[in-house]
Amino acid sequence: MIVETAATRRTRIVLAWLVTGLFVFPLYYWVTTAFKSSKDIFNIPPSVWQFSPTLKNFEEVFGISFGYLQRQEVGMGGGDFYMTPRLIDSIVVALGSTALAIVISTMAAYSLSRMDFSGRHHFVNWILSTRMMPPVAVAIPMFFLYKDIGLMDTHLGIIIIHALMNLPLAVLLLKSFFDDVPREIDESAIIDGATRWTIFRRIILPVASGGIAATAVLCFIFSWTEFIFVLTLTQTGLKTVPVVSSSFVTSTGTAWGNMAALGAASMAPAFIFILLVQKQLVRGLTLGSLKQ
Amino acid sequence: MANVTYSRVCKNFGSVKVIDELSLEIKDDTFVVLLGASGCGKTTLLRMTAGLETITNGEISINGVRMNEVHPRDRNIAMVFQNYALYPTMSVFENIAFSLEIKKLGREEIKKRVEETAAILNLTDYLHRQPKELSGGQRQRAAMGRAMVRDADVFLFDEPLSNLDAKLRAHMRVEIRQLHDRLKATTIYVTHDQVEAMTMADQIVLMRNGIIEQTASPDELYNRPASKFAADFVGTPSMNFLEGSIESHNGAPCFSNKGLQLPLPPDCPAKAGQAVICGLRPTDLHPDENGPIKGVLRFREKTGAETNLHFSSMDNHLIATTSRDQEIGIGANIAFSIDARRIHLFDKNSERRI
Repeated sequence: MIVETAATRRTRIVLAWLVTGLFVFPLYYWVTTAFKSSKDIFNIPPSVWQFSPTLKNFEEVFGISFGYLQRQEVGMGGGDFYMTPRLIDSIVVALGSTALAIVISTMAAYSLSRMDFSGRHHFVNWILSTRMMPPVAVAIPMFFLYKDIGLMDTHLGIIIIHALMNLPLAVLLLKSFFDDVPREIDESAIIDGATRWTIFRRIILPVASGGIAATAVLCFIFSWTEFIFVLTLTQTGLKTVPVVSSSFVTSTGTAWGNMAALGAASMAPAFIFILLVQKQLVRGLTLGSLKQ
Repeated sequence: MANVTYSRVCKNFGSVKVIDELSLEIKDDTFVVLLGASGCGKTTLLRMTAGLETITNGEISINGVRMNEVHPRDRNIAMVFQNYALYPTMSVFENIAFSLEIKKLGREEIKKRVEETAAILNLTDYLHRQPKELSGGQRQRAAMGRAMVRDADVFLFDEPLSNLDAKLRAHMRVEIRQLHDRLKATTIYVTHDQVEAMTMADQIVLMRNGIIEQTASPDELYNRPASKFAADFVGTPSMNFLEGSIESHNGAPCFSNKGLQLPLPPDCPAKAGQAVICGLRPTDLHPDENGPIKGVLRFREKTGAETNLHFSSMDNHLIATTSRDQEIGIGANIAFSIDARRIHLFDKNSERRI
């Protein structure tokens, strides 16, 4: 073990705080901007620590009254910056596409991990290759396709395209989790009389729940932050948070406070989702039940 | 309770022949050990019996019924894996009950059978635990419980003790054998450990490169090994081998190697002049001042109960196992004799027993 002197220890701690600060500060600044009035936002020098907090930005964006805003100042639930439905769109799309991607990818990954069929290796590579294409290259053809089959501007359409976008990563990630589960467990269950489906459902899924949770988190975040497909495949039916963020840039100026309020609020669902699956995530890393 | 028959079974992985025309008959209720070095095909043979590997050619049948195309679940076999393969998210109870649940037995019936099995294996206090909360020996027993609860015709064990420490292994050897005596089920047990094979088996099938080298009881395998390979594989320390030829001294056959003369029994089937390999077990060599095997002590290896003496005799390196009281200095001259009936002779070319 390396013995640490007081000086190196101090340096290490200072460095750690510096790096942490470097990452956390933009987040802090963005979140506090959401609570600032326009006056405080444009202060020079910037008012980093001292400002008079207000919930006005949130009131405008979510149409809830905290008493900072006169009702007539902005049409409650109808103003230009009223974003509650957009946040709901985002949640529906992210949850829906994550669920769809996970259902398909767990089954695909299990077959790729366990079943021998010719060309399996090429199949895995092919799945991976679909991820190599830049989304922009697909967006325009998808636009025409969606227009023809009626998926344009629908929640289902965006759920499907986001699930498709996440499938390669999810399949490969889950395949590696399933590969880590010893084949003998399947074989033992086969001898015990279980069918493939029973093995998948009763044994493999619970064992790999940590891996599935980790994959779900990634799918959720990718869908939550996706921009290009939502921009090209929707008109008025729905918009997700990343796309509507641009609507705060208006001809009369940028509503930084409102944009920050939406941004700060949009961190919450992803954060909650991660908290919910955190227990599984940790368990996924500590599969200590097998003697290998 | 079942007979298992292998007739001309072959297994190829691509162009590699793992099992080559293997035929074997395993009788009802016997404890058969498949013994061999790693890569000899013993585990493949076991997995083919279980239905986890396809059979390239030939036929495996249980109780006269061809099994080649029968699904593993319909073969009524039970298998214990090397890494136990317990279901990690299920408790010991659920692990043992799993196969019964699949068979859709009633809850009461399942509970009764699991508890009976647990009692036999001393697992009653651990039924609610998860596999990760068990020690190695307990996991091993849980895996056996899962196999036992099913009333299978044939029990298959794939090196089940190799993950345990030496002491626990010795203990589990006895337990598994006692369990077999109690359940009387046909058992096929794969191991590379000759001690496990010798102590547990009714019959040992010694395998080498996908073929059977010898099928025999432990006593016969030790006392009358069919080939040099079998003689070398079984017994610790390994048998000493000397190359030489058969000579006749006044009508009595005798083995000769660079001046070393060993008298052979008068009914020895080897012909005079035949080139042979002579095998001497270290435990059969007895210190004897007038003995024919003379040498110089090079190294002493104490195992506690016995001492292995490494000595050189006419350019040959030999080992003799003696009682621990033998206190001989390194470099001292020593001599050994051997009972002529304990000398093993193998043909030099075929390496088969003469």
